[in-house]
Amino acid sequence: MNRKLLVALLLGVVMVLSFSLALPVAAQDRWDGADDLPVNPLDCPMAEGEAMPEATEEAPMDMPAYDGGQPTNAPDLAGQPIVLVDVPKLVGIGYFAATTLGQAQAAEELGNVTVTTDAPTEANIDDQIAVIDNYITQGVNGILFAANDPVAIAPVLTRALESGIHVVGYDANSEPGAREWFVNQAEFNGIGKAMVDSMVAEIGADGSFAIVTSTFTTPNQARWIAEMQAYQEKCYPELTWLETVEAQEDNVLSFNQATTLINKYGEELDGIFGMTSVATPAAAEAVVQAGLCAVDAANAAAGSPEAAVAVVGLATPNAMKPYVTGDNAGCVKSVVLWNPVDLGYAAVYVMRAVVDGTLKPGDATVEAGRLGTLSVVNGSEVLLGPPFIYTKDNIDGFDF
Amino acid sequence: MTATAARSHIHRDNLLTRSLSFLSSQEVILFFVLVGLIVLVGTSNPRYVAERNFINILNGNAYIAVAAIGMSMVIISRNIDISVGSLIGVLGTLSGSLAINGYPIWMSWVVPVLAGALVGAVIGFLVAYLRIPSIVVTLGLLSILKGGLITITGGAWITDLPKDYFLAQIKTPPVSLLGLNLPEIPSPIVFMIVLTILAALWMRYSMTGRAIYAVGGNAEAARLSGISEKRIIMTVFIINGLTVGIAAVLWATQLSIIQSTVPAGLELQVITSAVVGGVSILGGIGTTVGAMLAAILLSAINSALVFIDVSPYWFRAVVGVLILFTVLVDLLRRQRSRASARG
Repeated sequence: MNRKLLVALLLGVVMVLSFSLALPVAAQDRWDGADDLPVNPLDCPMAEGEAMPEATEEAPMDMPAYDGGQPTNAPDLAGQPIVLVDVPKLVGIGYFAATTLGQAQAAEELGNVTVTTDAPTEANIDDQIAVIDNYITQGVNGILFAANDPVAIAPVLTRALESGIHVVGYDANSEPGAREWFVNQAEFNGIGKAMVDSMVAEIGADGSFAIVTSTFTTPNQARWIAEMQAYQEKCYPELTWLETVEAQEDNVLSFNQATTLINKYGEELDGIFGMTSVATPAAAEAVVQAGLCAVDAANAAAGSPEAAVAVVGLATPNAMKPYVTGDNAGCVKSVVLWNPVDLGYAAVYVMRAVVDGTLKPGDATVEAGRLGTLSVVNGSEVLLGPPFIYTKDNIDGFDF
Repeated sequence: MTATAARSHIHRDNLLTRSLSFLSSQEVILFFVLVGLIVLVGTSNPRYVAERNFINILNGNAYIAVAAIGMSMVIISRNIDISVGSLIGVLGTLSGSLAINGYPIWMSWVVPVLAGALVGAVIGFLVAYLRIPSIVVTLGLLSILKGGLITITGGAWITDLPKDYFLAQIKTPPVSLLGLNLPEIPSPIVFMIVLTILAALWMRYSMTGRAIYAVGGNAEAARLSGISEKRIIMTVFIINGLTVGIAAVLWATQLSIIQSTVPAGLELQVITSAVVGGVSILGGIGTTVGAMLAAILLSAINSALVFIDVSPYWFRAVVGVLILFTVLVDLLRRQRSRASARG
């Protein structure tokens, strides 16, 4: 009986294991963790001295029709002073302090805009609705918002439009019909390009890399990975994708997964992409603890056969400072995100343009001060531009 | 047949049964499964068994193994604690907050452990003296801790921790033994092994330790033999709080960032380690050594899946099979021992 049990148990485990071992490691045409939606890779970076070929200026894909809302009987305040209220998801965190700073910069440049930020101290949609409601009653000329919930915020924004108040969103969208415009901080293909370009800058166009993501099915990450793959195939066919691993949004798991990748591939692994703000610092930490920072490798170049492992990823500056300029300076060279100061700045310029009538439904571009001309995408969204790369030269200027 | 021969026959029979039951003990089975896995994956990719990855496997789940020590005692006493994951998150955040607010480093290591024991005492009191089922108490606590942590921290991460704070990154000094350079062992592995062995010895040889099995195995008999069930349950939950506190400090000090949120599913990993380690969910059976081996096995499986290019979704499936299997084996064993007791 005893022995039977023992044998049964061992058999069971061996079966499970061999079953998993026997699974085909199929040659894939899609990276793990990418979705299968259509991709739209951006143009490859131009080699020096190469002229911009006119022919590649593709006709813009069929521009979707304007799908935003319009205020009812908004007073004509073109060129006149306007009072705005900014209602981000919450106040008291560095990220929205940065958007507020950008708004203040824009207001000062324009001279005829007053903007105050007022929001709950927690990212709570009910409180956010109450704040907006309050300002509709008080009366303002325009509302800027970053929605805690795209659907739940729609009715109160619609009410604002019906009261003749202009409504522009940034950072986190609402349903399109509940606002006039939304300032989109980054498009998937823009992030995809910035990630791959930053990686190639470190490991060369023929390096090998792995990806640490949250889960294979997380929508944003899946889109970014799909766009990264499309851009890699278009611009760097020699670049090799090794593997994607999942790490949820868990610090410790991300670290362990990145460490396992380093152990598995050894010197074959040149770089790791972190797809979440959790995975990127954890991957950097794994590289530090494995002693494979670019700086370590330079020091130990003679002794160690293993080259450095580069880390490129999406993350917030505060989490990455230790690896960019802090104790482990130089371990990470590029952190890809957008610049929240510019985001707030653009939102005020868009609002001003809407009030002045220089941005109307159907327009394809809008002027945004120091950011230049921003283009309209997806019907009623204004694209902030290419993502922002945080490096050792600028990261200490940000606090979020 | 002479009396001597009969006696020696019985003796031999005992020895055989004992060695068989040793071989079929969960700890030994786990050990062989672990070795089998390492050999199997190691042959397909030798880097899996390289020193570095081996230490990572041991280190990866060490804090879970430490938490599983207390959890084993709780389950053996026929209780459960589903708040450990949240408590690790809260105590880890407490530890980091102390460190960045200028308290001495030793306080940021010790205070969370004491706080863990205090929370354990409260749970123990509610369970033992007010007779509220432990699953209800800890379910309530789980919600309180989870909600409270997010409210207080707002989800903000703790960064800029002082350099000396990282207890879990400390390694044993390099030792040369017989001309061999022994690897530097990270402190979580040392904690895991030392605490597990101490707990196993204590549970086997001390009066209180034995009493935990008695309370979980047959509370009525334990009461009749003069064991204070209330006192034992209090003790078990306080020890559980201590080990959760140590696990929390190890969890918090391993990376330069503390996430300030409750790690998802951590309590399940701790409970899984205990159950797969042979701790009977019906109480009264199990050892901390088994729980530790199971925690290492889970870590080894997770690493193996990356090494042999299998989707991590399989991890959950494999763990599920392991849980069902061990529970089934536990039930069979119980049936058998009941049958042999009758015969």
